[in-house]
Amino acid sequence: MSSKSLNQPRKESDRHDAKKWYSAILARPEVGPVGVMLLLFGMLGYFSIPAGEFSLNPFSGEGFNALAIRNNLRVISQLGIVAIGAGLLIISGEFDLSIGSMIGFAGGVMAMILRWGFAVVIPYVSFEGGLHIETYTLFKITDVSPLLAICITLCFTLFFGWLQGFIIVKTGLASFIVTLGGLFFLRGLTEVCYRAFNKKPDQTAGSTTVTEIPDIKNIVNIPGHGELERDVAKNLPQEELLDLLKTVPEATILKLTEKLTHINEKVAASKTLLLKSKGVKGLEKALENATASGNEGMIAILQDKIANFKIEPATAKAVSDVDLAKAYIDTIHSARPVANFFGGDIMEPLFNWLYFTVDWNVNNYGNQFADGLYSCLMIWFLLALICYVLLSQTQAGNWIYSTGGNLNAAKANGVPTNKVKISLFMFSAFCATMFAACQVFETNTADTAKGNLKELEAIAAAVIGGVVLTGGFGTVVGIIVGAAIFGIAKEAFFYIPGVDGSFYRVFLGIVLLASALTNENIRKRVIGSA
Amino acid sequence: MTDKKPLIEISKLVKKFGSFTALNGVSLNVYPGEVHALLGDNGAGKSTLIKVLSGVHSATDGAIKVDGEEVHFNSPREASDAGIGTVYQDLALNALTSVTRNFFLGREIKKGPGALGIMQMNEMNEITIREMKKIGINIANPEQPVGTMSGGQRQTLAIARAIYFGAKILILDEPTSALGQKQQMEVLKTVKRVKNLGNIAIILITHNEIHARLVADRFTFLSLGEVIGSGLSSELGGDDVKRLMAGGADIGDLAKELENVT
Repeated sequence: MSSKSLNQPRKESDRHDAKKWYSAILARPEVGPVGVMLLLFGMLGYFSIPAGEFSLNPFSGEGFNALAIRNNLRVISQLGIVAIGAGLLIISGEFDLSIGSMIGFAGGVMAMILRWGFAVVIPYVSFEGGLHIETYTLFKITDVSPLLAICITLCFTLFFGWLQGFIIVKTGLASFIVTLGGLFFLRGLTEVCYRAFNKKPDQTAGSTTVTEIPDIKNIVNIPGHGELERDVAKNLPQEELLDLLKTVPEATILKLTEKLTHINEKVAASKTLLLKSKGVKGLEKALENATASGNEGMIAILQDKIANFKIEPATAKAVSDVDLAKAYIDTIHSARPVANFFGGDIMEPLFNWLYFTVDWNVNNYGNQFADGLYSCLMIWFLLALICYVLLSQTQAGNWIYSTGGNLNAAKANGVPTNKVKISLFMFSAFCATMFAACQVFETNTADTAKGNLKELEAIAAAVIGGVVLTGGFGTVVGIIVGAAIFGIAKEAFFYIPGVDGSFYRVFLGIVLLASALTNENIRKRVIGSA
Repeated sequence: MTDKKPLIEISKLVKKFGSFTALNGVSLNVYPGEVHALLGDNGAGKSTLIKVLSGVHSATDGAIKVDGEEVHFNSPREASDAGIGTVYQDLALNALTSVTRNFFLGREIKKGPGALGIMQMNEMNEITIREMKKIGINIANPEQPVGTMSGGQRQTLAIARAIYFGAKILILDEPTSALGQKQQMEVLKTVKRVKNLGNIAIILITHNEIHARLVADRFTFLSLGEVIGSGLSSELGGDDVKRLMAGGADIGDLAKELENVT
């Protein structure tokens, strides 16, 4: 019999060295999703390059011009906001199907409060003149500020999130069924509220859309006129605009003049270029015809004409005082910072720099393509940053992981698992409210159908990003990537020639399944059962 | 050994569930630096006893004294505050997170307000490595998930955690069951090292008389809720242990019993 010397027995623990940095990166659950995301970005860039042009630089495509970036980032960040709430909840072992309805509900509440104000009404039974129900108005605020509207909405949504969480932890019912109830309840309640409050005196049932909300984020303080919407201010009578310009300091006017001159020159240059290409195109068409018919003389004449094609350059428009006044109104900061925070634009200096200095953010007519990015991107970024620190660095993060990973172990070690779950249900409702706030202040409308299916998209984004549905496993970075994949897939498929745009759903379905399988495998490998 | 004061004295403990008497006047003393093996068949009352000791149930009658002072527990938290640490069979570990995160689960070292405090990972990692080393396991990487550890290592982690958070009396509930041979030895080594620390009293609940004989200093045998025998390891012969394990029956009686089966 032979056996190895046991003088220095190997230990189980020796089999786990600290990982090398590269294998540590490759073992991270986000690797797969990041690969898919990069693939989609590549596809979007490659396929959006206009037909006939060749470029190896994907950023030259239409999918990556300033306007497309602005719009795609809006889709991604809106989904990202709710995906973070949904993702953290899934990591703690529960999930929330009421997110979409919560978005519709929060948007409706916010819009109606902004439109008609907020009142607390107590109904009571009155016997005077026959039995009927009277109402007593406890208090009424007619002019609600954006901040107050958001706070009141949060009171409703956070309470509802708390209630769902409370029911789930106290009764032990599956979160699927409780939040499915929430989905129907909230959507129905929203519709009922719209029909009840949003009706004109001659209507029997109200409209399910609120539209006549002022453009709050663009309310500015005009000297001599008070608070006005930007568009209204720009359409003031000419004399008043000129009067306004007199109050503007000389240096600002000089800067604005310079800016407008620059824009006008760019517009003129683009116009010249456009006219030229239009003229050349006609000649080229004629040349093609001539070549087809073999008219030698004609071909020579046309070739000569194309080579020497000249067009009178369009002259730049002169900068008028009215234009200056309008440009000045554009530079005044919003008088409603909260509304602007949620619905306005961010990174405008960067996009101005890209237009004026880099000469990139320019559309075909020479105007600025995008003024900035939607501020929901910033809100997503802030939420993601906070949640990243929360989940990976704080005690609460460890509690969330253990609540989802092994509920009994967490309880045995004194983790307040019920509080963890209820807080995350409230956080999910909070994220839905943030989504709604961005939408309401950006578009100045609200609709009962808003947020439809968002709960499932949010769950799908989280799963694609590496979150395991049974809980205890997943990261914020993964959820961010998942949302990006979801948001970009539609755009990328839209540009593929000869492919129906709806294939993006087919693609997402496959990615979702593949992600779920991969996540489960990683999870099994971690707990050592595979 | 008799000059030492017992760390925990249990005298005439009675626990009734309605009309059912689970424990009927159980007494035992456990001394620091000793392993006290608690043996008995299924239904002997071992589980009830540890549940009373760890504060899950409260005793119907009788007294528990820790360090000479009488205690009454109404919750597991009170028992653990009094220094009784129980390591259950499921170990209360989350396999998906790291060793350190499990070691400090629910008692994280943090800076900042409430649950939002930032965990001091480096400090926690150091403590985890140090405490695991004390009872004999060198972990190279405290950031590795608990799922990658062997059953024996997990057991050690749970024991180290209980000791670090102030357990003077360590109750181990069948620590060697559901483990392979090598892992069982690893756990027994850990138990021995904890014993050698000198200040901790260990109550070892087991089915396995061989394991008990290997590490225990004292034995108490339970059957149907009563103590049917106890003594120092040195006083007990192998046959005694076998007989008492089987609830007092002689091996000959058992053989006869089997013969009658047709």
